[in-house]
Amino acid sequence: MQQQLTNLSDKELISRARKQNDREAEGVLMERYSHLLVAVTLPYLHKDSSLDPNIVFPTLTQRLSASLKTQTIYKASEWILHIQKGYLGKPEKNTPFYPSREVRDLLHIENLVDKASNNVIDRNELVVRLAQSMDRLQPEEKTLITHFYIDNKSFAELSAITGQTRDKIRAQLKSAKGKLAKLFMNQGYVK
Amino acid sequence: MLSNKQHNEKILKIFSAIRCVNKDQLPRYMDGRLTEVEKHLLEQHLVDCDLCYGALQALEKEGEQEQYQDLTSKLQRYVKDSIQPISHVQKVAQYTKKEKTKEHLLFYFWVFAFIGLGIGSVYVLRGHIRNQPPPVRYVAAVNPASDSNAAENNGPAPATNAAVVAPVNNAHASTPNPVNLPNDPVASAATAKTPASVDSAAIKKALALKAAQKKATADSLAKVKRAQLLQKQQDSIRREAEKAKEKEAEKPKEKDKSDEQPKQAPKQETAAVKEKENNPEPAKKEAAQPTAVDSDEYLYKAAMVFQQQGNYNEAIDRYRRLESVSSGKYKEMARYQLAVCYRNKGQTGKARRMFKEVIRMDGSMKNAAQQALDGL
Repeated sequence: MQQQLTNLSDKELISRARKQNDREAEGVLMERYSHLLVAVTLPYLHKDSSLDPNIVFPTLTQRLSASLKTQTIYKASEWILHIQKGYLGKPEKNTPFYPSREVRDLLHIENLVDKASNNVIDRNELVVRLAQSMDRLQPEEKTLITHFYIDNKSFAELSAITGQTRDKIRAQLKSAKGKLAKLFMNQGYVK
Repeated sequence: MLSNKQHNEKILKIFSAIRCVNKDQLPRYMDGRLTEVEKHLLEQHLVDCDLCYGALQALEKEGEQEQYQDLTSKLQRYVKDSIQPISHVQKVAQYTKKEKTKEHLLFYFWVFAFIGLGIGSVYVLRGHIRNQPPPVRYVAAVNPASDSNAAENNGPAPATNAAVVAPVNNAHASTPNPVNLPNDPVASAATAKTPASVDSAAIKKALALKAAQKKATADSLAKVKRAQLLQKQQDSIRREAEKAKEKEAEKPKEKDKSDEQPKQAPKQETAAVKEKENNPEPAKKEAAQPTAVDSDEYLYKAAMVFQQQGNYNEAIDRYRRLESVSSGKYKEMARYQLAVCYRNKGQTGKARRMFKEVIRMDGSMKNAAQQALDGL
């Protein structure tokens, strides 16, 4: 059972945990992100010595478990980060989680691409539409995306070309991708 | 063209969904131990995922991979210990609940099945009892053998005939049996009383018949005496009549009425005597008529015996013969008894038709027939 559940996607695990009240699915989901949660929490533990890992992680897990049943989750990573920052960060930022517009757009296009992988007509149409959206991007953004995604260049290579840090390159790529997603989504309105 | 197309299809890579970095990939990426493809995919994911990029940054800054591994395994153990046992307990509870509901359903099913079977068997049994032929009733009569013999033989048996023979016949045709005479009505009365299930109206009728018979036999014994007396009276009446004729020749009708008003029996007797005296031939006719009535009564009694024994077919057979042969009182009674037989046999339609015929005849059995018809 455990083996079968580990092969399921986040979405399926979440729906199992919610609809069938399947605690095992919830456990598999928690286990899947436990190392990332630990890695993200480590700086806080170092910063504040009063924080006990034996208390912090169980509490975090319980919070996640409680919010899993009530909150809308598009991407598990975004949701975990939100809960973790709400618990360890500033208390005023402790708001209920709701996925951002950008993430929803990205997820929507990812689903479209996933569906189109089996359908040549859909795939061609999607390619054409994406190319049109790409053409409307800024030339720098277009070049960056082309280098990274199509020419398969790594962060290190890109930073060597542009002379910028990895963080900056990642931020530029993220914003360019967000813009591309927005352009793609709004393509119907702009002719 | 082909390369252009391939190039275009690479655009789709921008939006391909990639899973988060797993536990081993992070240190391997930091150490540069990933393959090119793996590295590229991970970097693609890092662009989108803040959690993974945050984890990578944190690990690079802190550099405490041992603590990271330790805490991760601890957290995973905690998750396993805290969540999975509960889920197991839940599953066991769910399973037992399912089994219990199954058992309950099975129990209810059997209960309902037995109830249904019980109701069905009761219904079938009742139907069977209802459709069973009526049990043969043996009449506890004083001398049933003689009666049944008389009925079966359907011929003149001198010893038994006395029971059935009409009183008038006793005087004329057969030799009267003074010992049997008082016994027979009692016996027949007893036979009429014993079966409880025989129709009350029929019993009443039979009793009335016996009483009439008794009376008639008594009359027949006294008849000789009466005849003598009547002959004496006759002379006086004749004289009186002649006188009256002379005196009241103008009002003969009134005189007749005044003659009729006294007792019926004497009047009938006088009329009979008159007729006898006037013309001797009608007397012979009268003698023949009682024999017909006699046979009717015999048939009727025989049929009654069959009916009381529960042998309805035989009884119906005799009643039918009686109905076709005789007329008047016996015809009506035969029809009535036919209807009773049909009703007892369960042939309601025929019984109803017979009762209606009895009512149409407008005789003495009309009320009884009407009641029986209403009761059907």
